[in-house]
Amino acid sequence: MSAVEVRGLSRSFDGRDILRDVSFTVGHGEIFGYLGPNGAGKTTTIRILLGLLAPGAGEVRVLGRDLAADDDARRRVGVLFENNGLADRMSAADNLAYYAGLYGIDDPAERIDELLVLVDLADRRDDPVGTFSTGMKRKLGIARAILHRPEVVFLDEPSSGLDPGAQRMVRDLIVELSRREEMTVFLNSHHLDEVQRICSTVAILAGGRIRAFDTVANLTRASGRPAVTVALADPGERARACETVGGLPFVAGCDVDGDALHCTLAEPGATPELIAALVRAGFRIEEIRRSSRSLEEIYLEHVSRAEGGA
Amino acid sequence: MSTLSVIARREIRLAVRNRSALIAAFIFAVWFPVMSTLSIAVGAGGDTAAVAGGIAAITLPVGVFMGYIFCADTFLREKRDGTIETLLCAPVSLQRLWEGKAIGVAVPACLMMLLSAAVAIAAASTFSGVSVAAEPLLLIHLAAVVPVWILAAAGLIGAAQLALGMRENQILGFILIFGFIFLVGGLQAVVPGGAGISPAMEGVLAAVGLSLLALARFIAGKVTKERIVRTIP
Repeated sequence: MSAVEVRGLSRSFDGRDILRDVSFTVGHGEIFGYLGPNGAGKTTTIRILLGLLAPGAGEVRVLGRDLAADDDARRRVGVLFENNGLADRMSAADNLAYYAGLYGIDDPAERIDELLVLVDLADRRDDPVGTFSTGMKRKLGIARAILHRPEVVFLDEPSSGLDPGAQRMVRDLIVELSRREEMTVFLNSHHLDEVQRICSTVAILAGGRIRAFDTVANLTRASGRPAVTVALADPGERARACETVGGLPFVAGCDVDGDALHCTLAEPGATPELIAALVRAGFRIEEIRRSSRSLEEIYLEHVSRAEGGA
Repeated sequence: MSTLSVIARREIRLAVRNRSALIAAFIFAVWFPVMSTLSIAVGAGGDTAAVAGGIAAITLPVGVFMGYIFCADTFLREKRDGTIETLLCAPVSLQRLWEGKAIGVAVPACLMMLLSAAVAIAAASTFSGVSVAAEPLLLIHLAAVVPVWILAAAGLIGAAQLALGMRENQILGFILIFGFIFLVGGLQAVVPGGAGISPAMEGVLAAVGLSLLALARFIAGKVTKERIVRTIP
């Protein structure tokens, strides 16, 4: 059984299709990245999974249960929306104590202290949350979301509105929590770099449909033909080198890419032949590396294809 | 501790820390009875039942208005800020959440109403020389009838605030509060005994208050999570 299962999910609002036949699964213990442009339906998917909205068609399950119909199953799930779910006029500790009461945690003082230390807010435990920075609120929001040791935690844009330092802090916190608490993390994010760094699996949602669903490693590796980037000792020779290798049978194409050559190979394993051909032609190679496309490139390709109606 | 108690206690604590709501409630709780008691003292002419009836009449709308003031913080703010969405994901039924919040509104509203009643009783004693502090029907009115009305008002307004969008909420809030006030005036006109406090009047008010409470519970039961989430601004 998967931690999260979505099968043939569709939903429309006011006659506009937001989700169309969306299907994917998230395994236990994974950090899953759910990507898509604004208005793609990412938050709608989370809301349906959490039982806040009804699906138009299809079926969703979290830990094998329908959260809309099962109050008790929600005890096993945590959630962080953009607003953090905190009351500004209450202290950090009081906010956590409130949710501890809602989730029926007996004697939560120790757990609250542990989490405040983990998110580095122990010295602010009695301060009103309204006095906190956006980053501090987000950290406390994460602590609130995992207070009851959920098996699955949904994080909706956890880095949104944070400065780069705070983004990194939140990213490290998510990885740390996933390891320490062995949680499945469902991460809704715009930050492709963040997703590529911490997620094991991703789904790309665009135009209401899932355009890609795979592990990050597979997506970045299996996209298109193998390619290598070659830096020459004399960058002035890039154009001539490109002409030289461009005509070889095992090279599908060659472009000048900044200070280097970007060679797409017609077949895997042709890198030694490429190096030999360059050396034979008298070029001195400074560096050569296998190039894989970034998640950002793959994401933009899928989104532009969806916007083009493909 | 039950979840109902957890929710109610949190709302009470937040209300106590809401300075602007407390100041507005305090001003209304003091100013309104003092101004009203002046005319009651003159009209009653030393009649204890009439003075008690007058005070009973003003404490009801005061209590309902207090409920309206505290609802804005408990239900509407939660929706405007979007924090209600997080609460809806907790292992608590929507009905229980609504009940806890309504109680959390009713407690500070009742305390403010009692403050208002104390001011009115003191003012009546000063202006007319009549003391109604130990009038049994008035005590029943303050201890039981008005709290039921406050709870009903908090429940109705809260359910509406959860179900409606922000613009509709602004309009409906005023409609509800003035509806309550006119209802009170209407009841006093049709119940025998005139403006004076009477068992019949208290009986009718208690019955209407309980009916409104049942209506509020019924309406709250019809509000869905989807409705709430889709009307978050």
